Amino acid sequence: MNEETHTLPKAKMGKSRFNWFLWFIPMAAALLCAWYVCQDIIFVGPTITIYFQNAEGLQEQNSLVQYRGVKIGEIETLKLTQDRQQVGVKVQLDTSAASIAQKGSVFWIVRPELKLGAVSGLRTIVLGNYIAVQPGHGARTNIFIGVENEPIEPIQALDILLLAAKLDSLQPQSPVFYRGVKVGEVLDCRLSDDARKVLVQARIDQNYAPLVRMNSKFWNAGGIDFHLGLFSGAKLTAESAQTLISGGIAFATPPDFKEVATNGTVFSL
Amino acid sequence: MDKLVACQTCGLIQEVDDVPKDSVIKCARCNFQIFHRRVNSRARTLAFSLAALILYFPSNIYPIITADYQGQHVQTTIFQGIRSLFERHQYFIGSLMFCTSILTPVLKIIGLIFITLTLDWTCWKKTRTWIFKVIRIIDPWNMLEVFLLAICVSMVELGEVATVHPGRGVFAFAACVVLTLLATLSFDSRLLWDSPEEKKHYE
Repeated sequence: MNEETHTLPKAKMGKSRFNWFLWFIPMAAALLCAWYVCQDIIFVGPTITIYFQNAEGLQEQNSLVQYRGVKIGEIETLKLTQDRQQVGVKVQLDTSAASIAQKGSVFWIVRPELKLGAVSGLRTIVLGNYIAVQPGHGARTNIFIGVENEPIEPIQALDILLLAAKLDSLQPQSPVFYRGVKVGEVLDCRLSDDARKVLVQARIDQNYAPLVRMNSKFWNAGGIDFHLGLFSGAKLTAESAQTLISGGIAFATPPDFKEVATNGTVFSL
Repeated sequence: MDKLVACQTCGLIQEVDDVPKDSVIKCARCNFQIFHRRVNSRARTLAFSLAALILYFPSNIYPIITADYQGQHVQTTIFQGIRSLFERHQYFIGSLMFCTSILTPVLKIIGLIFITLTLDWTCWKKTRTWIFKVIRIIDPWNMLEVFLLAICVSMVELGEVATVHPGRGVFAFAACVVLTLLATLSFDSRLLWDSPEEKKHYE
């Protein structure tokens, strides 16, 4: 027994590897930190402030700024201005959307809306209100004034003005019909400056714009027509189911075509 | 130093010559590494705790939980989570979370760094021992960090329409936890009371 202990095996020696590797761990940690900081400083777009009359439904750190359905920024803080008249919404834009921070960009808050004949912003009921933007092309700026509603897009279309004695059931987004086909819609209704007429701003789709001539006749197509004739019997007509609720405008053009109406032409209703 | 070593793997008792620096001993039979002390303890502990300290900051600054809940896009850092616990009068869980995920890790990391850095100093020996005692006391509480994610998830009140996914800071946080663990594991407490020449040998 005693002899065996004298012939104990010798342990082998080996090079210890990976000792130099040890200091890569703090270095990697530092690199990761640097990457985080880089993401915060370099890979982040500009911070802009948008002033709204009412920031209802927006949440700090929470609500998004979207353009074409894509998130382009996040709301950082909501603050009341000094004079308590507005809410300053501080938005952190993504790098990809840095060009949004230009003069002429228009911001508005998208809320769920339930209008007759049109429902919009349904997504916001679930996902919360968000800020939408229409980009501008001016100089760089970081301060914007938000608008209340989505701006009317300057699309290719014929805008005409109709003068009516009274509004009846017309409202924005009421349809405009030609032979029963919807060719446009009402954009805006308001009283004229002297309050003697109602101004109805209507937009005819570009495709149908040639139908509107200087001698076209417009009439209110809302509601129900009820005729009772001796020989024809009772006759109940309505332009469409939609006009029953939201009103509508119809027009016809006499066979003797006059020149095509231009933007801003005034017709009487 | 000690001439006889038993292999931790196969139990073979063997003789060991003097070990030069930057080399390791291997068992004559099973070729596994054998050691008296934890290998390279001081440098390892320092490296791991430095890395943990570096990652401690992003793990607390950046959100570790991102939740989409009923259209709300919530990002929560550890500290915000604790604050919201306090706001809901969950003082016990809140302070427990504060201790386990903010206070004790940083105490432990700084303590380990202090010990490993000042190991050569002849003075402050008692302080080092005391710090090590404190580290040993708070060590089990550190392990609660593992449950932090579970607490966070329950904190955002998982509903049917909620999706919870890890935020940016979660990698730093996990790495910080693992590195702290490794730092404690690689620290050999015998370093604390080694005599100067033992120190030369074992560091």
